[in-house]
Amino acid sequence: MTDFSVILAGFSDALTLTNMLYVIAGVIVGQFVGAMPGIGPVMTMAIAVPFTFVLNPLPAIGLLIGINKGGLVGGAIPAILINTPGTPDAAATAIDGHPLSKKGKPLKALKMALYSSVTGDTFSDIVLITVAAPLAVIALKMGPVEVFALMVFAFSLISGLIGASVTRGIIATALGLLAATVGLDPEHSTPRFLFGFYDLYDGFPIAAVAIGTLAFAEIIRRLISMTGEIRPAVNFPKDQPREDKRISFKEYWSCKFVLLRGALIGTGIGAVPGMGSTAAAFMSYASTKQSSAQPEKFGKGDIRGIAATESANSSVAGADMMPLLTLGLPGSASSAMLIGAFLIQGIQPGPLLFESQGQLVYGLFGAMLMANLCNFIIGLFGLRIWAKLITAPESLIFSAAMVFCVAGVYLATGGIFGVYIMLIFALIGLVMTALNYPVVVFIIAFFLAPRFELALGQSAAILRGDPLRLVNHPVALVLFGMSVFAVYWLNIRKKNNKPKQPKESKSEPEFNENLQPEEA
Amino acid sequence: MKINHLLKKIVLTTSLLLSGVAIASDWTPSGPITLKIGFGPGGATDVIGRVIASAIETNNGWDVIVENKPGGGGVAMLSGLARDKADGTKIGLGVTMATLMNIATRGDSLPFNLDSFDYIGTVVTSPLAVIARADAPFNTFAEFIEQSKANGGYLVGFDGGPQKLIINAINADTGADIVTVSHKSGSEQIQSLLGGQIQAGFGAGAHIEYLKSGDLKMLAVATNVRQPYSPETSSLIEQGFNYSLNPYFYLTAPKGLPENVKAALSAALEEALKSEAVIELIENTMKTEAQNLGPAGTEAELKNSLAMMTKLVADSK
Repeated sequence: MTDFSVILAGFSDALTLTNMLYVIAGVIVGQFVGAMPGIGPVMTMAIAVPFTFVLNPLPAIGLLIGINKGGLVGGAIPAILINTPGTPDAAATAIDGHPLSKKGKPLKALKMALYSSVTGDTFSDIVLITVAAPLAVIALKMGPVEVFALMVFAFSLISGLIGASVTRGIIATALGLLAATVGLDPEHSTPRFLFGFYDLYDGFPIAAVAIGTLAFAEIIRRLISMTGEIRPAVNFPKDQPREDKRISFKEYWSCKFVLLRGALIGTGIGAVPGMGSTAAAFMSYASTKQSSAQPEKFGKGDIRGIAATESANSSVAGADMMPLLTLGLPGSASSAMLIGAFLIQGIQPGPLLFESQGQLVYGLFGAMLMANLCNFIIGLFGLRIWAKLITAPESLIFSAAMVFCVAGVYLATGGIFGVYIMLIFALIGLVMTALNYPVVVFIIAFFLAPRFELALGQSAAILRGDPLRLVNHPVALVLFGMSVFAVYWLNIRKKNNKPKQPKESKSEPEFNENLQPEEA
Repeated sequence: MKINHLLKKIVLTTSLLLSGVAIASDWTPSGPITLKIGFGPGGATDVIGRVIASAIETNNGWDVIVENKPGGGGVAMLSGLARDKADGTKIGLGVTMATLMNIATRGDSLPFNLDSFDYIGTVVTSPLAVIARADAPFNTFAEFIEQSKANGGYLVGFDGGPQKLIINAINADTGADIVTVSHKSGSEQIQSLLGGQIQAGFGAGAHIEYLKSGDLKMLAVATNVRQPYSPETSSLIEQGFNYSLNPYFYLTAPKGLPENVKAALSAALEEALKSEAVIELIENTMKTEAQNLGPAGTEAELKNSLAMMTKLVADSK
């Protein structure tokens, strides 16, 4: 057990003006790049990492943590305002955030996102600080077989819960897995589906696929639907009543269980390396909607929808640090950047980190909490600016967003090749949406696929090709059973709901679950 | 006659001296140098490349622009570099293993081979070793093989084709029946080891902390020489398995680099590796020190390693 004096010394190290300034700089930059479709916090961190070499460890890591956490808040901003997630994990936030914004309450939606994000983030940071070590031990027992079963369960939940039907969800999952087979296979390093393009050795670049399907497709759709008259991207009255611009404590408190569930899902998912915040956000959203008494309200601007997604995707960030600090395993692209920064500072994550660098680790925890506070305060100011900005003509907003997407992908993938991939996937996104297949299910499957395939190969080796050996892995068996049940049960539920839908759809527009095109 | 001879000597020596000076310092790049890194931004290779680039900028006053060309462990970068002009303004930073593996297994489908490049030097070699849990009932790789045979085949992690090849070749030689389990990194193998999912694995630096903490132990080093951080651990070759993997980080350029340019770049690299920042960074990230084999040494090392890799591919079948 770490000495209490070390903990105190660590926290007081964090609370210096220098560190504070680096954290604030990180948060400002993070929120900004998060809000820019196409330029994400991961890429910004990648650019910043080499520069942190000249800094002391704490300000260096504080800066990167700030960027990462700022990005969590920033990504929701364009998702809510223009239905174009700034980061993939904010895709779920658009489902309820954008409709609320279209109702003329963008500030209300943005504030709910900010509060939920900071709540989820702080929750998982506290879990990290207090029980990182025991949780890491449990995570260690999650071997490849268990991880594989967990992924199957996640796929069955997501494909069952999101989208028009379970069948379409499963097809979208399969397409996502298929797209991810491009590149070297994890077992024998055999190149697959390269067609002579060596740039595809590592598969389709994730940035290009995510930005293409999630952001660029929506931008194209909006540009197409423009009529030529100049109108603001989001319309809201100047003399809005106060309650439409803010979230009262009563409203916030009414979401307490939603927030807690989101934070728990996010923390759990974050503790398992490689599951990712996008999946967490959708799982939280789907389970909130399923357990709600009025599921029909979701997708039309319910603040609970925003609370569910933002608390979940932000709480992944803190939990992500558990495998990182205790095992040196990055759970996401952004924590891979943090590991890089740790290493160049000579800090080796692993078993000795808490003993040999205890003061630094608690300094890092201090910086994380500080970043949450900064995120909140800077977010409150920033949201007003973004809400002002969005009243600019939509032709301007969307063409600017287009430029950012192209520039961002060009930078992230190292050339024009990635931009072509982005365009192809934007097209795929448009076609899938037009045919009513859930694009987000596709993208989550694509994100998780490399891990899924790796775990499949590992499981086959560990079980030596004999499925009967699964009896030695009870946790995996339970997860497999739950997956089968989930698909079966959700299918029945969807079918039962079907007959009602034609009646409802006359009076109310359809759910905007798949980032569907809307009549503006 | 004698004077004539003396004059000749003087002229000869002076011209030699002068040309020597010319080799060391007279070349300046016609524009900024582009350093292409075969890996994505933010990783160890990227940071090492960038710090070397900035050391060269400070030492030589040249502009060095860093570009990331990730893909296939360097294959994407080398494919592009092979087509670049050999005037010293385009150089690449790669790691030997994945590239050699690709040349050995599917060389005919690649747009380059080892002869497509001139070599400037190496930066460092990573301290690859075979590791196991500290409480495992074997202490050397030879003991591990014996017990694997007796217990119907142990599970061994790997995170790159060459590691898998070594295990397969040893399987073929000894009948150890080892099953290989794919991983994405050394850290992941450590996780699987600690969680008890595999019995041995490969570590490329991250394992050193776990040796100190007493969670892991080394069965053998996989490089052809012993490692300074654990001088008592013998190599696979010493234990009777005639294979080794030496993952070098190296600088390369398109074939046809003029001799004076090559010498200037090589000198610049040598100088950069002596800078405080580079030494500290390599110590921090790789737990070892810089090692430059020079242009000829690098080429020889790559050719030797390719021969080893080709042998591995043949033996593992």
